[in-house]
Amino acid sequence: MMSDRVERLLLTQEIADFLYAEAELLDERRYEEWLALLADDIRYWMPMRRNVKFGEDGREFTREKSDINWFDEGKETLARRVKQIRTGIHWAEEPRSRLSHMVSNVQVLGAEPSYAAPEEVSVKCRFLIYRNRVETETDIFVGKREDLLRRAGEGWMVARRKIILDQNVLLSKNLTFFI
Amino acid sequence: MNGTKGYHPGLVDLDSGEISREIFVNADIYAEEQERVFARAWLHVGHESQIPKPGDYFVSSMGEESVILTRDRTGAIHVFLNSCRHRGMKVCRYDEGSTTVFTCPYHGWSYGTDGRLVGVPYFREAYHAKLDKEKRGLVEVAQLCNYKGSIWANWDKAAPSFQEYLGDFTRYLDLQLDGWDGREAQAELLGGVQKWLVPCNWKFPAENFSGDTYHNISHRSVDLAGIGPSGRSRRDLGERDISRKLHVCIPDRGHQTILYLMPPGEPTPPAYQNAPIVQEYFAHCEAEKRRRRGDYGRFVGAPGEVFPNTALLSRQPRTMAVWHPRGPNQTEVWRWFFVDRDAPSEVKEFLRDYYIRYSGPAGMTEQDDMENWNYAHKASQGVIARRHPYSYEQGMGTAVQDFEWQGLKVPGDVIDITEVQSSEQPMRNLYRRWSEFMAADSWADLATWRRNDRTAAE
Amino acid sequence: MAEPINVRDLAPGTRIVLVDGGEAEIVDNPADGVWVFARYLSSPRDPALAGQEEMIFAQDVAAIRE
Repeated sequence: MMSDRVERLLLTQEIADFLYAEAELLDERRYEEWLALLADDIRYWMPMRRNVKFGEDGREFTREKSDINWFDEGKETLARRVKQIRTGIHWAEEPRSRLSHMVSNVQVLGAEPSYAAPEEVSVKCRFLIYRNRVETETDIFVGKREDLLRRAGEGWMVARRKIILDQNVLLSKNLTFFI
Repeated sequence: MNGTKGYHPGLVDLDSGEISREIFVNADIYAEEQERVFARAWLHVGHESQIPKPGDYFVSSMGEESVILTRDRTGAIHVFLNSCRHRGMKVCRYDEGSTTVFTCPYHGWSYGTDGRLVGVPYFREAYHAKLDKEKRGLVEVAQLCNYKGSIWANWDKAAPSFQEYLGDFTRYLDLQLDGWDGREAQAELLGGVQKWLVPCNWKFPAENFSGDTYHNISHRSVDLAGIGPSGRSRRDLGERDISRKLHVCIPDRGHQTILYLMPPGEPTPPAYQNAPIVQEYFAHCEAEKRRRRGDYGRFVGAPGEVFPNTALLSRQPRTMAVWHPRGPNQTEVWRWFFVDRDAPSEVKEFLRDYYIRYSGPAGMTEQDDMENWNYAHKASQGVIARRHPYSYEQGMGTAVQDFEWQGLKVPGDVIDITEVQSSEQPMRNLYRRWSEFMAADSWADLATWRRNDRTAAE
Repeated sequence: MAEPINVRDLAPGTRIVLVDGGEAEIVDNPADGVWVFARYLSSPRDPALAGQEEMIFAQDVAAIRE
């Protein structure tokens, strides 16, 4: 019994470390290394959110793979986003933004086949992204992430990412960064 | 320098091609245009497919104001100001849904989906049953038009009908709302309306979508990254190689667009080669369109603008946008996305993926536009900057009124930009109409074509 | 004073007692928490109301008839 709890604790710390390291890559603009952490079949989905009546929560989010979303794409498009930033003439990111990804509330929700020998882990966390660019332009993005991570040798890969931003009308002119 | 506080003639100088920065950054002019432009022009509210059943509603916006687009119990469509007649509270703060009544959370006044005031707390006691409920329904727009499923509304009862307002521009709105195969009103809305804030005056995006072909260079990064449907560039645009590229402006209406005019008898170059089902669908539709529309099947749409603040983009990514004014320095963009209703699901999915990576705040193309609008606006606010008008001098005096190519006449002021690449006729057309709205006291002055028609008749 | 009632939760068919002593049966609920559509069963204030459908204001609902 005790060992189960220890396994779970160790896994949670390992996963948190992975998420922090991932955030570090993004904030240090090491995009190619970040892309390498994404599974080839990754789905990167960020729905839009509606104001709906109490009891109608099923309509709150736009649907993956059928509605318009903020993001709903795979690795190929994510790689093209990196390529665009790397041109040095993507004016919405040139000069480049100063970003800090804060990841917190890391909760491992499940591990398959077991906590002791996990191959796939579902994990939920909060993010707070601070963006400052050009001179005084500042944005704060806060929300939740639900990730499916897949074992890759000694490390992990992101196999699925659902991003829930706590906004209705997007309060910023663009989403030029990765979450 | 702007000698008076608000709008005055001369700020838009079409003889010199100079337009004052004041019209973008001046708070007094902004306040005036809410009254003179947005309270009198036809504005896009939504699409009927957003409210398919009685009781359905979609909360939209007209100018700065929140409005409710709703279908009442009898199936009739209405647009109401979203504000209680008693103390002004919004009677609906959900984005969309279905209801029997809109009830104000403040004091409880309640309105039917036909706008009638049906519930007044303590009507008998506090009002002694004397309140005239008939007079206190939700404020309704003066005119509403359901044009091929798109809903347009106007606060001015003296305004001409929507179709008269469109004039010769109707054909370009048709390209947006009809099927790619030329059948009428086949557009279907994808779920989800993108809404976001851009720190610039609403006229920056309005003039950009009027037909700014000069800013292609600003999208070089996305061309290099290659997000187009075939994995290259940012669009599949084979027709560019065989068509005439035109700027088409409807001078007395203020609408304008880019148009690709194809040669007769020549098939549209293939596109979407990486996706056989999509390629086949569009090839089929192109052939059908030519068959159904005859010569007008040679029209291929591109970005355009219905005066004042509705953007069209009838080819892929097929979207409509409204640039809602939110103060002189801020715009709230709403973008709707369309596909053909009867297109195979593979085609819809393919297009949806493309639309998302192209358009909106996460769209790799539109991002760079918004950066430009943001800092163009910001750098135009200072007193020194305001002394120096913007230049709109491309193609001055080169528009023709009787443009014809290979047997097809195109009405309006037309500039063939195939070789010259760009003109600023669309922007001059937009601001000419804008300045007419700012100067005119009523629609009697604004419906200039009625005068011209009379003169012609005499 | 009785506990306040959330009229939003009252299903059609529910019988309610009104502050003026009348009784009514819910026929439709717009779920706005302010109004219910109900058919009067009786009304001491105006006996002619019996059988009529009216919008009833939440603050006029005194109790739910068990």
